[in-house]
Amino acid sequence: MKYRQPASDSSPASTSHRSAWLTAFSQRGKLYLALYLLILPTVLSLLIFSYYPKVDIFLMSVYRWQPPTIKEFIGLRNFKEAFSDPIFWQSFELVGILLVANLLKLWPGILAAIALNRVKSDRLRYCIQVCFVVPMIIPGMVFLLMWKNFYDPDFGLINRFLNASGGMEVLNWLDTTMPRVSALLAPVQDGVVGPVFGGVGGLIVLGALIIAVGKIKSHDRSRWGDYTVLMLGALIIPVASVFGLQSSPTEGKALAVLLIVIAWMFACAKRLGRAWIAWPFLLLIGTCVFWHEIWRLPLAFIIAVSWRELIRARLDDYDSAPYFRASSLLLIGLGIFFILFGNIWTAPTQQFSNGTPAWLGNKDLVIPAILFWGFPWVGTVGVLIYLSGLQNIPQDVYEAAKLDGVTPLGMIFRIELPLIMTQIRINLIFMTISTLSTYEMFLILLGPEGGPGGRGMVPGLYLFSSAFSEGRFGYACALGIVLFFIILLLTIVYQKYVKVDK
Amino acid sequence: MPTIINNRVGESIKLGYLAFVLMFAFFPLYIVIVVSFKSNEQFLSNPWFFDPVSEWRWENWAIGWHSVSGYIFNSIFVSFLGTLSTLIIVLMSAYAIARYRFPGKSVLYYLIMATMFLPGTVAALVTLFNLLRQMGLINNLWALVLMASVSGQVTGVFILRNFIEDIPKELFESAQIDGAGHLQQIRHIVLPMSASIISVTCIMDFLASWNNVILPLLLIRDDQLMTIPVGLFHLDGEYVKQYGQLMAGYAISSIPLLVIFVFSMKFFVKGLSAGAIKG
Repeated sequence: MKYRQPASDSSPASTSHRSAWLTAFSQRGKLYLALYLLILPTVLSLLIFSYYPKVDIFLMSVYRWQPPTIKEFIGLRNFKEAFSDPIFWQSFELVGILLVANLLKLWPGILAAIALNRVKSDRLRYCIQVCFVVPMIIPGMVFLLMWKNFYDPDFGLINRFLNASGGMEVLNWLDTTMPRVSALLAPVQDGVVGPVFGGVGGLIVLGALIIAVGKIKSHDRSRWGDYTVLMLGALIIPVASVFGLQSSPTEGKALAVLLIVIAWMFACAKRLGRAWIAWPFLLLIGTCVFWHEIWRLPLAFIIAVSWRELIRARLDDYDSAPYFRASSLLLIGLGIFFILFGNIWTAPTQQFSNGTPAWLGNKDLVIPAILFWGFPWVGTVGVLIYLSGLQNIPQDVYEAAKLDGVTPLGMIFRIELPLIMTQIRINLIFMTISTLSTYEMFLILLGPEGGPGGRGMVPGLYLFSSAFSEGRFGYACALGIVLFFIILLLTIVYQKYVKVDK
Repeated sequence: MPTIINNRVGESIKLGYLAFVLMFAFFPLYIVIVVSFKSNEQFLSNPWFFDPVSEWRWENWAIGWHSVSGYIFNSIFVSFLGTLSTLIIVLMSAYAIARYRFPGKSVLYYLIMATMFLPGTVAALVTLFNLLRQMGLINNLWALVLMASVSGQVTGVFILRNFIEDIPKELFESAQIDGAGHLQQIRHIVLPMSASIISVTCIMDFLASWNNVILPLLLIRDDQLMTIPVGLFHLDGEYVKQYGQLMAGYAISSIPLLVIFVFSMKFFVKGLSAGAIKG
């Protein structure tokens, strides 16, 4: 117990009961006053500079607001515009690409930490650890500007290296070949994948649905109830679109659908327990993918369920898992194959023939340049965090594995990765939220307009530019609220789903 | 013996990979230093490549110092005062929360912690800017100090609270019997007992405000008041042709952190590896 009553035990017994109580009271009051005074600066500064601005965005989002002169109440018009703003939603597409790329970029850091942890001599390991910290002294801005110089078309290091090593010719060759490959794939994609699955995205959604349905463990009567609840979720937006949500949306209709979705989410949470949280997102993504032919979502759900029933009719839970995994991986892999070879490089960029591609100045090259940014993608802090997890692994685990004949390469997957999962999860959370919310790099490199053709526009940057270069502060507040809720949802999901044990 | 050969191969693969990664990490630093001594003609005729410096241009460093010294002092002012005030405020509230129980404590604690999980630093930028404008803090370094001292508090309270709770209570009690007040207890018990973790959080705060771009970019208008990130960004726009001087400026602006790291490297590497910033 940390509860302290400084006065009560020290008060002399001779004084009357009443006055002892009084002194105790006043002493405790004094203590509390001191404690409140100690904590006051933190609370006050957070209230003023953290809470007040966050409340204020909600208040100001209903105004047409350009300080200090214009402030005009316009109701929900800002939100209406935000939801139908193509630039805003396109920026989330870029976020999706960046998230996938960042997921892959986690690995070099993890491998570096594992390699560092396995270095035999203690002294050498400490030296390398120090070497990992040293680059932090370079201001982040210098790092940004240096990389910007690397991408310079005329004397940037990357073009020089590509020209010297022959990489430019490879790129030039790819520039003519890849469009041809995609032209070859186009008939398959338009003739088979499109009509059957509703496009490449449909393939991936179906794969994800099969994984999710395969995760449902129970095989008694109650599973039909689960299916019904999920099916209702898949049907909400298709049915709403029949009633005119897509053709003539109004605030009332949108609000009603939102309420129904929330009610459904509660039902889902009640019915499915802990595993429910992935479903709303899956169905939301499905809705986005199938936006123009929304009937496909329930259909895809039915296909996934019947596939599960077909397999589970013959096999038990344990034996059927590989089948679900294989079929969904096949679908997702196929989808990724079509995206990589059929959807990205569809037309020659004609940038590589003269040997000076303007990486940050061409609308087709901006995104590849940003993805390659910071090669080899090993962050100092990330490596040291992983290392802290790795150093907690006791040595006898390795020895036991060695006796069992596990190869050093196998140990990565059998020992190290499972045991630093906590650290990987933490980094994953940070990575997701920072991908959604940071935009410094894009602002510095590409300017507030998001670079050529606005290809480098991320949500944060759009918010920034609509407030500070277009002067639409109220609209920026509305955008901010949408972003706020998306990040809040993600945070809640992570809190629930990804248990971080400290 | 095959195992020895295996070990050697494995060891060299590991070290090779680490060397590869570190090479890329140090590459910008290397380029900054080499180019800062080259003349502009040499650089433009053979940019980036590893030719020896034909004539050593020390005056690049003098010009670089002239252009970035103001930014460096501004940055030191902001980051130092911001970190110091964060430290003081955080120590006080973490001490109060960790040692005592008082009415409303859990409410206040969750109020503080909630800001860690509430998103919206991006969204709130618009209204925060307006708030600072109304307070008359535009184009004022104190605004940056203020914001630096606010932003580091939450994680600071979170980490320090756990550490102070682990300090044996007897220490505090004996100090109390000797007549030490709260502030004295903080100074003589908390500060020395948790020095390593405090130094790590301080360095993290310092780095965060040192590298902060968006707020200075929005708030600071005068060239004399710019901090390093914004200043370098502006120099990059102006000085496109004078690479040697620009790189010298970059190198000079790395020196303050170099000094700090030389003194705190031990704490830092240890603290980070000990999982101090796990949360």
